[in-house]
Amino acid sequence: MIRFDEVSQRYPGGHEALKQVSFELERGEMAFLTGRSGAGKSTLLKCIMRTESLSQGQILVSGRNIQRISDKQIPFYRRRIGVVFQDHQLLYDRSVYENVALPLRIDGYREADAARRVRAALDKVGLLSKEKMNPIALSGGEQQRVGIARAVVNRPQILLADEPTGNLDPELAADIMKLFEQFNQIGVSMLIASHDLALITRLRHRMLTLDNGRLIRDEQHPSRQGAGSS
Amino acid sequence: MKASRTRKSAPSRAASGKLRVSPGEWLRQHWLCAKDALQRLFSQPVNTFMTLMVIGVALLLPALLYVLGSNLAQFGNRLTETGQITAYFHDATSDADHLSLVNSLQTDDRINVVNYISTEQAMRDFADWSGLGDVMSNLEENPLPASLDIHLPASGLTDINALAEELSANELIDLVQVDEQWLIRLEQILMLGDRIVLVLVAVLAMAVLFIVGNSIRTIIANRSDEIQVMNLIGATRQYMARPFLWLGLCYGFLGGVIAWILLALMLLFIHEPASALLGFYGSEYQLIGLGWQASLSLLLGSALLGWLGARISVSRHLTKS
Repeated sequence: MIRFDEVSQRYPGGHEALKQVSFELERGEMAFLTGRSGAGKSTLLKCIMRTESLSQGQILVSGRNIQRISDKQIPFYRRRIGVVFQDHQLLYDRSVYENVALPLRIDGYREADAARRVRAALDKVGLLSKEKMNPIALSGGEQQRVGIARAVVNRPQILLADEPTGNLDPELAADIMKLFEQFNQIGVSMLIASHDLALITRLRHRMLTLDNGRLIRDEQHPSRQGAGSS
Repeated sequence: MKASRTRKSAPSRAASGKLRVSPGEWLRQHWLCAKDALQRLFSQPVNTFMTLMVIGVALLLPALLYVLGSNLAQFGNRLTETGQITAYFHDATSDADHLSLVNSLQTDDRINVVNYISTEQAMRDFADWSGLGDVMSNLEENPLPASLDIHLPASGLTDINALAEELSANELIDLVQVDEQWLIRLEQILMLGDRIVLVLVAVLAMAVLFIVGNSIRTIIANRSDEIQVMNLIGATRQYMARPFLWLGLCYGFLGGVIAWILLALMLLFIHEPASALLGFYGSEYQLIGLGWQASLSLLLGSALLGWLGARISVSRHLTKS
């Protein structure tokens, strides 16, 4: 689903955020991306989103070299990827419902169809009763769940998450991860950046470890050896 | 989110993954954008009002000059419609010569009417008009020359001048009087006025572009979070630009409305004294307002300017993907 071939990324000014990173995430696979702050986790996700461009190597998503996607086609490419951010990136000038509906509006859905999907997504994250509220009135965990609902409302094939539990207490963080596992079970490929080792080692998924821009470990959880592709 | 749910509700997609939005949906999106733009404008009434007033005043100036010009122009138009030349014959010319010139002038296309006033006729007219008939009849010799009274159709000033020159060149003619010499000056003043209006329109249109552009720039800066999110979840540039273009259009149009209202109020204010002054020159002169065509141009033009200002701002300040 996502394949990195010797990917290097250098920011203007010379800092090399990724150094010859290679790995492949299978369709329907769920993996954690871990490492210290500044190890390159966010950069790696940004490269997949094509908000950062590569200085070397290539990234294939669904077999397509994403560097070759034209600027005009990038929005349509991004619509197939759901993203969850650490700081939620919700818009506080509109309701929970409107926040979740945003990707559908962009995609040109009819109101009735959009409403069905938004409610389904909110139902899934357990916030159906709060659709009319302003997200600022919600707790951190709830806001993150609104962010997740927005990321999945368009039913993307790929879900990326950048420190989705960074601001949450352990219990809420575990809930969020459970939610991700549920989406993974219906076939969404997932790459979740997190430095919360205590939490992610308890979950039995593949773990990619970055250190200073290099992929230093790529380990399948023992109980899942060989079950990468499904 | 059941995986079994079909995607039939999604809009049709081309093989490339590019979206085709139906015309109805496209219109609905624009309607939502326009509504949203208006709501945003009215959610910050003071800011909006100040910006609109600046745009309105900028548009008011050329509109005001235009109205002034069209009011002055009615003098020009009325007088050239009855363009008149008086030509006086030399004393030592005969009636027969005069009549042959009259005959030739009557076939001239440029001329509506030629009245021949013989010396006798001139004397009678003068006597009637002045009431000095007795005095005049005592004169040994008729001092008044024969003359031609020539009326031109609404043909503009070039014909009058050309004809006046031709007549001056005629050896029978002693003196040619174009009573409307000042018309030429008026016409030239009006032409100058038109140019000034054009220059002002250009300069103030630029001002409106900058005002709207700057307002939109501020709004874009205030909504950078939203734009960033939109960008990441796959909004196209056009989609992101759309609300700002609508905002610009609303700014421009409402600024035009304000200019129109200000102008109407001003005209209302000066109506009485201006009408009195114009009435002095004749009952056919009236204070002319903007008229519906110019009003429409003002509103459409200002809306277009607003849109253009927003477009420039969007192309400069909306982040690239």
